[in-house]
Amino acid sequence: MASSKASRLGEETRMDKVNAELVVLTYGTIVAQLCKDFDSDYVEVNKQLDKMGYNIGLRLIEDYLAKSNTVRRCANFRETAEMIAKVGFKIFLNITPTITNWTSDGKQFSLVFDENPFADFVELPDDGRAQDELWYSNILCGVLRGALEMVQMQVEAHFISDVLRGNDTTEMRISLIRYIDDELPPEDD
Amino acid sequence: MSYYFAIVGTQDNPLFEYEFGTSKQGGDGQSRFTEQARHLNQFVLHSSLDIVEEVQWTSGQLYLKVIDKFFNNYISCFMTAGNVKLMLLHQPTAVAAGASTRNSTSVGVNPTSPQTEEAIKNFFTEVYENYVKAIMSPFYKVNMEIQSPVFRQRVAAAGRKYL
Amino acid sequence: MVVYSFYIFDRHTECIYSKSWLPPPTSHDGSAAAAAAAAPPPPTTTTAPHTTASDNNNDAKLIFGTVFSLRNMVRKLGGDDDAFVSFRTAHYKLHYYETASSLRLVMLTDTATPSMRNVLHQIYINLWVEYVVKNPLSPVEHRGGRGVRNELFELGLDQFVRGLM
Repeated sequence: MASSKASRLGEETRMDKVNAELVVLTYGTIVAQLCKDFDSDYVEVNKQLDKMGYNIGLRLIEDYLAKSNTVRRCANFRETAEMIAKVGFKIFLNITPTITNWTSDGKQFSLVFDENPFADFVELPDDGRAQDELWYSNILCGVLRGALEMVQMQVEAHFISDVLRGNDTTEMRISLIRYIDDELPPEDD
Repeated sequence: MSYYFAIVGTQDNPLFEYEFGTSKQGGDGQSRFTEQARHLNQFVLHSSLDIVEEVQWTSGQLYLKVIDKFFNNYISCFMTAGNVKLMLLHQPTAVAAGASTRNSTSVGVNPTSPQTEEAIKNFFTEVYENYVKAIMSPFYKVNMEIQSPVFRQRVAAAGRKYL
Repeated sequence: MVVYSFYIFDRHTECIYSKSWLPPPTSHDGSAAAAAAAAPPPPTTTTAPHTTASDNNNDAKLIFGTVFSLRNMVRKLGGDDDAFVSFRTAHYKLHYYETASSLRLVMLTDTATPSMRNVLHQIYINLWVEYVVKNPLSPVEHRGGRGVRNELFELGLDQFVRGLM
């Protein structure tokens, strides 16, 4: 039931559209420039992408909350996953990744991306390392980490496979580390 | 018919080359160039670039059709708006040219017939589309050699499909 | 309907924006008393006209302490989905709205005002998100109100609130 509600919310939320090629080229330029700036140190590039995503996520969540009109907090992490996949990804990237591979404690799941609007046309550099080291869409991990932190969930997100690397699927693993408590006002002196 | 296809960048620098044979009329898709002709092909094709410069402003079309002929080698050219040249050298095999007069207009035999012209146009158009996709990759820079194996496959597929 | 003042608190419990639509209190003791009578007394102090920044700061702290405790109490009694909406005294009504990202908006109005929850929600969507969050030059964290005090936001808020009155 919660699942269909999330789908509906994702479908109904109206967003301004932007040309897909513009997104591909903009994001691609960022990644390519990072690769250049860090001398093809792909581990560092991944880190930078994650950091950029984190900063985006911190802001994007507010837009998400405003646009999607969600008033209630998610009751559990499964519901959170539904909202991420069916509302968040739907309204911002117009895709709905599949949620799968839950661990039994309900704290870890995978998002499988059937399509990735960032990665159209992309072929990783043919230097023998990029295929093993660069996570091209790593910015998404950061976005989720930043956005969820703002709604009091500390998570860890990383890609475990990517079609750009020649894998069959593009899969991101997300683990809930803890719920962040409300910050208390400082004690009066 | 044997084909030698090359993409030439804005500095007249080669970006990509691919050699194949006809797949029409039971062709096996293998080129029949001799080892010597292979070296000559590159030279012939690049020497046509001067002609390209002459004709490129005349028609206003991207597809310039057959622009040059060197003995039995015909050169067709397709020019992108970004001044990158897709060049195709086609060489009818001597046997085919002599033997089958009934098929004289078909692709792979008569290099200047309207059918061949159309087939090459389709080939160029498809390669052009894929070329645009290849250079859309963020890791590609202007006038860089196109190394993408995917692009090579697609060129090969276009060759099989139309030529 | 009269709106007296408006506060925003961030997730670090800091007051990052406050604005008052009260007429500026005078320093004279006699008229100050009159002003205090006309204006609503702030939640916990009853007499002193708030003239200085530190006073204002203190008000904000007290307001936050109050709404934070109330919110926690409401959740404890009514479950996590229950939300504290407003409270009323003899002189004013306090409206409270909290987003999932722990941004808290507080508005003080006269007692006759109906629920301002929707208004606060609109301020969040149309002013806060549009002008503050989406301003790439404004920082994410607003220590001391940095980035919140931008012209578009202030102007928009002032117009919106005056439009209500």
